[in-house]
Amino acid sequence: MTFIQVWLLPIALLVTSTVVAFPLSRYMAWIMDGKYRPPGVFRWFEQRLDSGGQNWKQYLFSLLTFNTLMFVFGFLVLALQPYTPLNPRGLTMLAPSTILSSVVSFMTNTDLQHYSGDQHLSNFSQIFFGIFNLFLSAAIGLAALTAIIRALRSDSSVGNFFVDIWRVLVYMFVPAALIFGLIFITQGSPMTFQTSHDVTTVEAGAMGTTDTGEAKTQTVIVGPVAAFESMKMLGTNGGGFYGMNSAHPFENPTGLSNFFNTLAMMVFPFALVFMFGRMLNRFRHSLVIFVVMFIMMAGTIGWSVYFDTLKPNPGLTGQAVEQKFEVPSAASPGGKLTVSMPAVASLPVEQHQGNLEGKEMRFGVSAGATFDALTTDVTCGAVNAEEDSLNPVAALAPLAGMWLNCVYGGKGVGMINMLTFIIVGIFIAGMMVGRTPEYLGKKIGAREVTFAMIAILVHPVLILLPTGLFAATSWGLAAISNPGAHGFTQILYQFSSATANNGSAFDGLGVTYGFWNAASPGPSAVAFDIAAALSMLFGRFLPIVAPMAMAASLGAKKSSPFGLGTLRDDSVTFGFLLFGTVIIIAGLLFLPVAVLGPVAEHFGPMPFGG
Amino acid sequence: MMKYLSKSILLLIFGVAVTCIVYPLVLWVIGQTLFPFQSNGSMLKGPDGKYVGSKLIAQPFTKDEYFQPRPSAASYDASASASSALAASNYGLRDRVGRSLGPVVKYKSGPKAGQLVAPDVESWFSADKYQAKPGIVGQWADQHNSLAQAWVKTDDAHGAYVDDWTKANPKIVAQFIKDNPTTPEPKAPDLAVVFFKDFSEKHPGKFLTATTKTEGGKSVTTIDVIDSGSDIQSTFFLMWREDHPDVELQDVPGDYVTASASGLDPHISMENAQFQLERVASKRAEDLKREPAQIQKEIEGILQENASAPWGGLAGEKFINVLEVNLELDKRYGTP
Repeated sequence: MTFIQVWLLPIALLVTSTVVAFPLSRYMAWIMDGKYRPPGVFRWFEQRLDSGGQNWKQYLFSLLTFNTLMFVFGFLVLALQPYTPLNPRGLTMLAPSTILSSVVSFMTNTDLQHYSGDQHLSNFSQIFFGIFNLFLSAAIGLAALTAIIRALRSDSSVGNFFVDIWRVLVYMFVPAALIFGLIFITQGSPMTFQTSHDVTTVEAGAMGTTDTGEAKTQTVIVGPVAAFESMKMLGTNGGGFYGMNSAHPFENPTGLSNFFNTLAMMVFPFALVFMFGRMLNRFRHSLVIFVVMFIMMAGTIGWSVYFDTLKPNPGLTGQAVEQKFEVPSAASPGGKLTVSMPAVASLPVEQHQGNLEGKEMRFGVSAGATFDALTTDVTCGAVNAEEDSLNPVAALAPLAGMWLNCVYGGKGVGMINMLTFIIVGIFIAGMMVGRTPEYLGKKIGAREVTFAMIAILVHPVLILLPTGLFAATSWGLAAISNPGAHGFTQILYQFSSATANNGSAFDGLGVTYGFWNAASPGPSAVAFDIAAALSMLFGRFLPIVAPMAMAASLGAKKSSPFGLGTLRDDSVTFGFLLFGTVIIIAGLLFLPVAVLGPVAEHFGPMPFGG
Repeated sequence: MMKYLSKSILLLIFGVAVTCIVYPLVLWVIGQTLFPFQSNGSMLKGPDGKYVGSKLIAQPFTKDEYFQPRPSAASYDASASASSALAASNYGLRDRVGRSLGPVVKYKSGPKAGQLVAPDVESWFSADKYQAKPGIVGQWADQHNSLAQAWVKTDDAHGAYVDDWTKANPKIVAQFIKDNPTTPEPKAPDLAVVFFKDFSEKHPGKFLTATTKTEGGKSVTTIDVIDSGSDIQSTFFLMWREDHPDVELQDVPGDYVTASASGLDPHISMENAQFQLERVASKRAEDLKREPAQIQKEIEGILQENASAPWGGLAGEKFINVLEVNLELDKRYGTP
């Protein structure tokens, strides 16, 4: 395993995404500014949808109305699964609470899945529930960002929601999805409306035998995987066609497909930052934001690769001598409690490729760790390795991505989150030098900071409250599959993922109810379904509504001339200010739970208990 | 406001038309005409022209004549992909890895260098002393309750065996109920630990194994008391290792003992293939009554021919496709 084999993939991904971001952002700004004159057919559709220029409240009302419709439509598609076509396996309806969480999840671009696509959904549901939401939820995030940009630059109208969605969908997403879908097909992703192949394996009987002594067959599930896969990644949705997502050989068949799979989730979030700058006519400002995000992203990738690819799985290595620790304890006699970590023999396992539990061979040595860090940075949530089996502290990288939630972030909303940090950062800097803070020449007042703080504080509250609730009650304890600190991390990860609208998961957590008539559902699946649905809903819409109100209020103010004392928003100093604001505000909030979860597992006894 | 509702409905209709009908159909037509093999799941055919599996989906191989894929948390069920989701700190991971290691690990140094440790695990097990205390099975169940319970639950025949024992030993069960008032009506898994402790006292140096036979079109499972065999080699390797922590052992390739993320990883690393090569070659040579060294060289050639690496080796190390290699073996040497 050479240096190149480890680091070439992440470096190639970062460089390619950055290079693509320049022309792509130009194209996106051109489309969203309405400068593109489409052919007559498309114009006809645009005219049907156009309801005229909207102010921010009308735009927001349209957005919420359409989301409500999406919810109803998604719910109907899943609830009617037994009656819809393309269902030769005769799959029945999911549990109602699972339908609720799944519909909310896909509508909010989260794609946290409390079901397995291969086991629970027909091809009809995969297309009309899955693919539909993959496109639309991503388009809505992007449209929200566009409206905020227009409000910031004091346009007379923030645009028209319906036209915006049409433009994003038809002029950006569909062409891009076709290109990537084709790439995935060439690599081996199925693209068929058939459901499965039943095969007798080469060594008949190796799958086991039936009660009558006949060899069991292997059922290979196929479907419109390539069409699903490309938009799943491009829209930073992350909900898999199969249960194991981008780790499944049909979703991600080769090392090359893995590169494009990973690249697909990065291109739009990267380009959106520059689109922000181009549309505001402040490209240098967006370049500074881009660099700050880039550094944080490189940091999370480096962390995860270092601890997961370059270190062995600590569960299989040994510890030669017993270790004893004395910790203060009020309960034990003498005020001190002795904790001992017994000696453990090492197992003869060759681990030069790092931790291989939950990894696939074909992607490359660092592919799993790289993907896992990236997937939460850009709020995608697809996985090509099992996050639950990452080395303990390596899991801090994906967790940090969700906690910061603005390391490029999801479609549109990542940049919106960063905007709230910019406002708060400038406000703090203004306080420090005793000058009225300004952004884009507009004075930041109490109203803007209030809205920004609402958007920022929703995040930790929606993560930490349910985590605490579930960790303290039997809801959480009945669902965890790993003992000790890792079990806590499983719950923490679930709600971080839901609130950040990410969708990746520690898969061991028993949150699956299955079909409504499931014989042995997860004991607290219903509680998780409902709690996660609420986290996703509020975690999605409050951070859209509050910044939009903030941008509108800011945009309505008079511009003041640029003076000597104005804080430049395109300087290195500003970059440091922004970096510090994000790390201190978003990062420190989560330090205690990080210590209780992954850090405790890392330093604690290995293995933990029997 | 009604205006926005009607436009929303229109957008929903247009959206469904574009994303659920036009877009998948376009991709479907392109895929089915230009890349029909990939679009239908990369299915491979056997010698009789029937599909035997997908090139991209792992399938189980148990016979020694075949290369074996990585362990699968999904039991190679291609309709329910799954990972183990075992954390590094979970004893379940160590236990599963230990079970894979037991039958294949060899000494690295000392007088027995190159020989399997399995016979020594068996003789150590027969002596029935762990950490200088008697009763290996009893200690095993006592220290790892969940493993003992898993043994009972894994097979209906195991559960039935414990049920029979329950009826034969009312005294022990009564004592259990007295010690555990929260479980007034214990079921077989609840009693796993006391069952194994009692078993360990009555059968020192012995363990249980299930054998399934097909009799008259029906499969019948019987439970036998044994003092050797793969169940002992695998289940108790970890405890043997704790008793012999300083013995030097040969490393086994990581992907031979770790489960993949999908449970369907069709590949194994080249090191893993080399590790299995000797076993496959000697078994094939035995079947064909040919020189093992010759066959080993030929199979080595097959492996090199099949090998590939992520980005031609720039992003990772060499691996082979298990199904393709095994099909090639059958083509050359016949079905075992």
